[in-house]
Amino acid sequence: MSGRTVAIIGRKVWLLENGSGAPLLYLHGFADVHSVKEGWLPFHEQLAKSARVIAPAHPGCAQSDENKDIDMIEDVVFHYLEVLDALEIDKFDLVGHCLGGWIAAELAARHPEKIRKLVLIGASGLFVEGALIGDIFMNAQPEFGSSYATLREMLFSNANQANALEMFPDGKGELEDEVRRYQMLRLSSRIGFKPPYFYNRPLRNRLHRITSPTLVIWGEKDGFVPRSHGETYAKLIPNSSELKIIPGAGHSAHAEKPEETAKLVSDFLAK
Amino acid sequence: MKPVQLFCWHFMAYPYLDKDFDKSGHSGWVTVPNKLWDNDKARGLYQEYIGQLALADELGFDGMVLNEHHQNIYGLMPSPNLIASALTQCTSRGKIVILGNLLPLHLNPMRVAEEYAMLDQMSNGRLIAGFAPGGGPETFNYDVPSANTREKFWEAADLIVRSWTDDGPFAHEGRYFPLRYVNLWPKPLQKPFPPVWIPGSRSPATMTEVAKRGYCYFLSSRSHGGETHRAQQEFAQVLEKHGDKYHPFRFGILMSTYVAETDRQAREECEEGVWYFLKNCLKGHLRKEGRQLTYGPGVPYIPAAAWREYMKGYTPGRKLLGDVENWEELEASQSIIVGSAETVAARIGALIEKAKVGNLLIQFQLGNMPDHLARKSMKLFAEKVAPILRHNSSIQFAKEYPGINVEQSAQAVH
Repeated sequence: MSGRTVAIIGRKVWLLENGSGAPLLYLHGFADVHSVKEGWLPFHEQLAKSARVIAPAHPGCAQSDENKDIDMIEDVVFHYLEVLDALEIDKFDLVGHCLGGWIAAELAARHPEKIRKLVLIGASGLFVEGALIGDIFMNAQPEFGSSYATLREMLFSNANQANALEMFPDGKGELEDEVRRYQMLRLSSRIGFKPPYFYNRPLRNRLHRITSPTLVIWGEKDGFVPRSHGETYAKLIPNSSELKIIPGAGHSAHAEKPEETAKLVSDFLAK
Repeated sequence: MKPVQLFCWHFMAYPYLDKDFDKSGHSGWVTVPNKLWDNDKARGLYQEYIGQLALADELGFDGMVLNEHHQNIYGLMPSPNLIASALTQCTSRGKIVILGNLLPLHLNPMRVAEEYAMLDQMSNGRLIAGFAPGGGPETFNYDVPSANTREKFWEAADLIVRSWTDDGPFAHEGRYFPLRYVNLWPKPLQKPFPPVWIPGSRSPATMTEVAKRGYCYFLSSRSHGGETHRAQQEFAQVLEKHGDKYHPFRFGILMSTYVAETDRQAREECEEGVWYFLKNCLKGHLRKEGRQLTYGPGVPYIPAAAWREYMKGYTPGRKLLGDVENWEELEASQSIIVGSAETVAARIGALIEKAKVGNLLIQFQLGNMPDHLARKSMKLFAEKVAPILRHNSSIQFAKEYPGINVEQSAQAVH
């Protein structure tokens, strides 16, 4: 694992890199690298066996500078165009989870020519009538003074499983982990609170512009982004396979079933 | 020297919840089911509450204080300006303090500028204009993204004051509220503009912004142990840093009281209302039971560095005001001061003496306290407590702050 800072238009972007091979840009979600733990999860290490995995921390997350000019998802897309220029990558595989999946879909709809293959895991970003994305902000407020059980329930298949408790402990966790969780919520609040929640209505009608082969993966028991969102992505992205369900996993399929999820992704990218 | 200013604060709680509401598991905020609203009982409630505020004016309180809350049983004033409007017509001398309009909830801050200007005219210059950013619950009620709330808040506050003072029309080239033609009609009556009060909970950033602009700082946290004194000292230091000097009328606090003929009678008469307030109204706000909406990582409105500092001192599961388990703990918190006139005068007097606070914002009606008890307590306070506090504080302030001109530039013209 190695971390470094990239400079873009006066701001620092913190990123981790691992592995060698074709570039794979990974955009993180909540139970993820940069959002809870400093380093990689087993899922990313698995991916790095066959690719050069590059995971930038979103603006304001981990050691990346905050950008107060971010008001909407569009601003984050332009941020990543700057990051790609700085990294001098013009064609790459793009994998995103949750909020990172939303950014990936927006990026792919605008610049299909840059994306070799696209993978969305539990991606937010779509408006699907009657299937609201969950309120992660409400659930990030403690119950009974110290419980984050409903937050874990939203992000995992089981609120009391070991890695859920490790990433989102009750009470107070390690100080820097607490700060990383907070930073991710703060960025999310900029782009995911209005319109409520975590979607961009026009995205749906732009998905047809995506040209890359696409794989959409969903945890069987996603309690945050309803499965119908995955079905919609898979249906409206022209070159997408059918929605792949990870049995027994919740919203954070990559964290709950790392081997299985990573194998699906790696096999798809290798094809 | 001007004595301590005594204001009558009202939340306008919903007082008709069932006795077992606390056990039902509902929060008192945001998601509290509105099927609990009972028109048969609630008919006339606003009239009753407005009547209590009008009584405060008759009794010689220095003003009446209103506040904005949404979707809860804690405070039924989504629009305090409507209540203020009624007060302009049924009171004649006390200040009307709105503390405050929650600026980030308004699509256009000019609406607040206009309504405050109207209220200042309608009240013959009695408005004290409070601006507040709103807290956790409002984030959820009105879908206000947290990360830029503070920037939005200060842009709106500055725009409103500028619209009161600068000749229009002018263009406001703001980040959040750009406006081509700012040209306020009517203008407020008070010159250069109504006094501005801003609430805070000891965040240095808020104190600094308040100090820079010469406004009054109001401490919104309700426990008055050592914290009030510390807040006063911190604010005084911030003022010094900005070339200004602290005096008691730059600072206000919120507290609650109940006065009766004896200590024992006071407790007996108010206890039901007190527990209703603590257990029901604070549930979801300053209480561990249920979900705590007011402050937490789900409403990330302070920068990450400030959150890191906050977390260093944070003890999960710590007791909040609504978690007090018995009367003794409540007494120790000094948030709700209950007793005979002598007891209350002594305890509030000690608080003023230590915290050097010139604006006391006092809640009399607590939870489901019936009208006749709230009125009796207010009357006893006005007749027996207020004169002592006024007398002692004017001596104290004259001694401790000699030569300071406490009249704010923006005082009433009448």
